[in-house]
Amino acid sequence: MSTHTKMADERKAPDGGTETGAAKGRRRSPTRVNPALYLFPLPAVAIIAFFLVMPTLQAFQYAITDWNGFSAAFNYVGLDNFVRAFTKDSLFTNALTNNLKFVLLVVIAQTAFSLVLALLLTKNSRGSILLRALFFFPTILSSVSVAFIWKFIYDPNFGLANAVLGGVGLEALQGSYLGNNAQALSWVAVTQVWFHAGQMMVVYIAGLQAIPRELYEAAEMDGAGKWQQFKSITWPFVAPATSIVVAYTTVQSFKAFDLILGIAGNPPKQSLDILSTRIYSTFANSEFGYAAAQSIIFMAMIALVTWLQRRLLRLTPKGE
Amino acid sequence: MSQISRRQAIAILGALGFGATAAACAGPGGSTAPGGATGPAAPSTGAVTGKVSFAHWRGEDKVVFDELIKRFAALHDGVEVVQDISTSNDYNAQGLQKVRGAAIGDAFATFRGAQFKNFTEAGIYAELKGSKAAASYQPGLLTAGQSGDSQLGLPYQVVFPMPMANADLFDKAGAEIAPKDWDGFLAMCEKLAASGVIPISWPGGDVGNGGQLFNCMIANNAPVDDMCAQIEQGKLKCTDDWFLRMLGQYKELVPYLQPNATGTAVEPAQNLFSQGKAAMLATGSYHIAAVRGLGATFPIELVFPNTSDGSGKFEGAYNATFILGVNSASKNQAASAAWIDFLSEPENAGYYANKTAQHVAVSNVEYTNPDLKRLSPWLDKKTALAARFQFQNLDVRNAVEASATAVISGTSPEQAAEAAQKIVDERL
Repeated sequence: MSTHTKMADERKAPDGGTETGAAKGRRRSPTRVNPALYLFPLPAVAIIAFFLVMPTLQAFQYAITDWNGFSAAFNYVGLDNFVRAFTKDSLFTNALTNNLKFVLLVVIAQTAFSLVLALLLTKNSRGSILLRALFFFPTILSSVSVAFIWKFIYDPNFGLANAVLGGVGLEALQGSYLGNNAQALSWVAVTQVWFHAGQMMVVYIAGLQAIPRELYEAAEMDGAGKWQQFKSITWPFVAPATSIVVAYTTVQSFKAFDLILGIAGNPPKQSLDILSTRIYSTFANSEFGYAAAQSIIFMAMIALVTWLQRRLLRLTPKGE
Repeated sequence: MSQISRRQAIAILGALGFGATAAACAGPGGSTAPGGATGPAAPSTGAVTGKVSFAHWRGEDKVVFDELIKRFAALHDGVEVVQDISTSNDYNAQGLQKVRGAAIGDAFATFRGAQFKNFTEAGIYAELKGSKAAASYQPGLLTAGQSGDSQLGLPYQVVFPMPMANADLFDKAGAEIAPKDWDGFLAMCEKLAASGVIPISWPGGDVGNGGQLFNCMIANNAPVDDMCAQIEQGKLKCTDDWFLRMLGQYKELVPYLQPNATGTAVEPAQNLFSQGKAAMLATGSYHIAAVRGLGATFPIELVFPNTSDGSGKFEGAYNATFILGVNSASKNQAASAAWIDFLSEPENAGYYANKTAQHVAVSNVEYTNPDLKRLSPWLDKKTALAARFQFQNLDVRNAVEASATAVISGTSPEQAAEAAQKIVDERL
């Protein structure tokens, strides 16, 4: 008899009389509970149903219509909106491409930058604490404020970036920044990294401060260099934090709607259009059904990327 | 109390979920759209009392409207007008959803073009044909608020989406302020550049304001007056010769724009002009108040970049906008209509105009604001109604206008035109 079959038979024990005493103790009596207990989750269920389930289901329904958002008349068009997004709408595919590029840029830059910051500032000296506060400061600003600040930093005529470059004699490097279609997205990515790196730095610092100092002392006694210490001690311990940082940064970058709109204006030009701004433009263009289909694609994209990331980045400390 | 099993409890919660699903599957739209098959009706009459929500996007005009509201309330006991102000971008994107149902916006304003069309199709406007207010307007300027035989909205403002000029800098450079043709316009720019100033400050980084120049550039290039509507319908193409000629003219403007113009937002562009570093600001007369607010004291004129060879049909461009309407779903239509009537009286329209530095479409208004007085002759010139608002599809409008920006950033007119036409074709 296979193990599986044996276990199944053992579960039948109450009728067959073969169950052990311990198993008998674990077995539950038929569940009869006071129905009043079931009233407690009802408010939560109602709120979730009303604010999450219903709008989501409605979005699925609208996505298969040609509804314009206000007319009583509409047609069911099946999957046409989804097909259109990928085959007949270069603005959508452009936004999708931009979004993926933006996520990649921000995830790589933000993860690396926040880890470096954390490594430099992990000690609790007065200077480190001050610098940590400074790097964390942007996080408490509203994204719209950040967008406007950086819009003016990037301005080619009055902006800080060109003024600083001019001030140190690097006029040749002065640029149009957001006006340059090839570079515009990268400059917004810089802003996004500046905005959130401090927050991610805190996650890394928490991970770094949990590493026992004895490990480093032992490594030094064994003659391990800084790189060896990082590779063999630091990284294995901060790897789970990296998982969190990457997941958080990915979702955040996908939804960088307010930052893009604040910097680029509404509507943003094509080189700065990402999925969320494209969906917004489609709603504003009175294509409610099509915008709902784009929203569903967007939701699926985030879910897929998050799932892939979890599969690929199973970073856990050694020994676990 | 009787008890239920876990299975029964799950069944109940499942039924609730199913109920939510069923509720979610109610048809979109529903029957909330006012107006309906009977067509628009005149606002209901009655006592001018109660609360009126006035929805619009001109936050900069709030103080002026506050004063007008005071004067209106002084004429009618028990009436209150509250301004519900959004930013122009938000209002463009969400105005319809906000005003629909009249939770706000018993009286409201719309942009000309796509937004007016959407409001019309949604049946939100009450009929104003034959109203006291409509009779106050210059008839020729009312067309932007008409739909078929109905006068649904009253285009309140008259703006000139043409470059504003610092007349002092023009005098200093000895530049012609009213060029008769394209060569004359370029010669004017050359003189300005030679005098050491930037000829044109253009906010190419701001899609909305940067796009206003398009109204001037297309007016005398297009073969028909409804050129943008025809582009959207596929009858005319961005790859046509006339459109490519216009893009070629955009390219010729590059030496006369500020450096990195395509990355310049509207505020820095205004600053270049206000500070006397640029001779023109290529947005429109609607920025006079903002420029004055930034400290500009020089005399302001308007310049039409006449793209023709001297035989052009138009001498300028204008737009009839800020279209006032009464919400057909409003429960207080009498007071809302009275408010629109009040705004349309020459004295009140004049107060609004002079305080906000905006011309209005109301007849017999006395302009006392020095800028408006100086620019009033433009009201009588042969000006083209701003063409970019003929586009009903915002994606198409942005794509077509973006072709001009692309040319200024170095793309060839042919490539830029093809990219724009691709998007137009996808939307046909």
